[in-house]
Amino acid sequence: MNWKFSTVVELLDRAREAGLSLPAYLLARESFYSGKGEDELRAELARRIRVTKTALDRGIREPQRSFSSMTDGGAAKLAHGEAWPVEDELFRRALAYSLSINEVNACGGKVIAFPTAGSCGVAPGLLWAYRDARDPSLGPDSPRFQDAFVVASAVGMLIALRATLAGSAGGCQAECGAAAAMAAAGLAFLLGEEPEGCFDAAALSLKNCLGLACDPVAGLVEVPCAKRNAFMAANALTAVCLRRAGISSVIPFDEVVGAMKAIGDAMPAAIRESAEGGLAATPTGMSFRAKIQ
Amino acid sequence: MSERTITLLDIFGPVMIGPSSSHTAGVARIAFMARKIFPYPLDRAKVSFHGSLAKTYKGHGSDKAAVAGLLGILPEDERLGYALELAEREGLSYEIVAVADGPERYHPNTAVIELWSGDKSIRIRGASIGGGEIRLQSVGGFEANLDGSLDAILVLHKDEIGVIAIVSHILAASRFNIASVASHRKDKGDEALLVVEVDGVVPSSIVAQIRDLPSVREVVYVPSIRA
Ligand code: SF4
Repeated sequence: MNWKFSTVVELLDRAREAGLSLPAYLLARESFYSGKGEDELRAELARRIRVTKTALDRGIREPQRSFSSMTDGGAAKLAHGEAWPVEDELFRRALAYSLSINEVNACGGKVIAFPTAGSCGVAPGLLWAYRDARDPSLGPDSPRFQDAFVVASAVGMLIALRATLAGSAGGCQAECGAAAAMAAAGLAFLLGEEPEGCFDAAALSLKNCLGLACDPVAGLVEVPCAKRNAFMAANALTAVCLRRAGISSVIPFDEVVGAMKAIGDAMPAAIRESAEGGLAATPTGMSFRAKIQ
Repeated sequence: MSERTITLLDIFGPVMIGPSSSHTAGVARIAFMARKIFPYPLDRAKVSFHGSLAKTYKGHGSDKAAVAGLLGILPEDERLGYALELAEREGLSYEIVAVADGPERYHPNTAVIELWSGDKSIRIRGASIGGGEIRLQSVGGFEANLDGSLDAILVLHKDEIGVIAIVSHILAASRFNIASVASHRKDKGDEALLVVEVDGVVPSSIVAQIRDLPSVREVVYVPSIRA
């Protein structure tokens, strides 16, 4: 069987040639490369999904406060706050969960880099929000929920293959931007979209993050990172809403990834994780840097 | 070297202690692999951070991560959070240096690990390329391209004809599938480093057969860091 691909077009062809669904093809490929059986891989997926849930619960239950004081229990406020302007459980949970997981990361807790630690809240936050708000039959052990993480991972793989997932190489479009695209694809999958629809949702979401600076204050993965996880969950949710309404991305996913790579290459080093430009270079940003050093 | 494969669990992973996949988890992995390549009792270690790591290592706990790796602790392990205390307890002597203007050609997230044991020493340069993925780009003065995704056998040998063929033969005779073979040398006729990545785990008896070959000077077995 052919396990090589670098574009969505190739990936979907490979799966079709193999006569497998997209998640089944990706699991078979994983099995081929790791030498592990499918049951073992599914058990590992379940274990990792549980790690995301533990982090999520922790950040909502115990307000997370970091050493720098820039992270200060935001997820707990979001989850329990009274003044809430939008009447939708999915939306509220998506914001709170995504922020929660990332605050736990900022405070040195255990997470899954997905695709990176700075962006680890977006996809699990949105997928768990959907589970809790809309479909409680899902969970770490349900194959469909696992497959949503697999489809999200496929988006990350394609970005890694043709662009980058490192803020230091491509700015935050490569981390939180990629995470949003992954989250959009995963949620589209849970809503019954075919693979083409999942990647279209990913394209819509990713287009909206192109050029995003990586300018973490004091070089810490906190500002703008943690709150950006909540914003990116909303971005992904918007992309899925558009897709469900029959709106497609004019620029196909593979080309959006190409654009992302070109934009990343053109970004100055000051906004590629060096903590020397953008928000990191503001007076307040500089004062936090001075404070922690 | 073969084209790198990126797998699902690379993207949905690693399981790690925060806050940064590239600056915390990746660095721990680089140091962990360096220690596997140089498995002798350490007298001293020096970690030099370049590029973005030089500027932000404190906030990301990259120093803790590097020391954790040197102590054989992987990014998933909660002990990473107090690796500096553990190093103190175990009497590990180390130095962390930030290099402001290192070579241009280095990856923007580079850690150079130098290790000393008795009269032996080694310098290993690793890049943390995002999402916790790493590449060891230089090992003991040889160019390399090791990512820890597979078990690897590193064979330091006299640069003579036939070593690659014999090593391949030993592995093939025991039914090991070779995923990649790369030979790196400094100067013709001098020493060369053969890096063989294999599918599966090669038993020490086979590694010993390679070690016993006449032109082989040293062999280290580096297990995969992929969970
Ligand atoms: S701003 Fe930079 S460090 Fe923060 S999440 Fe984005 S890419 Fe990562």
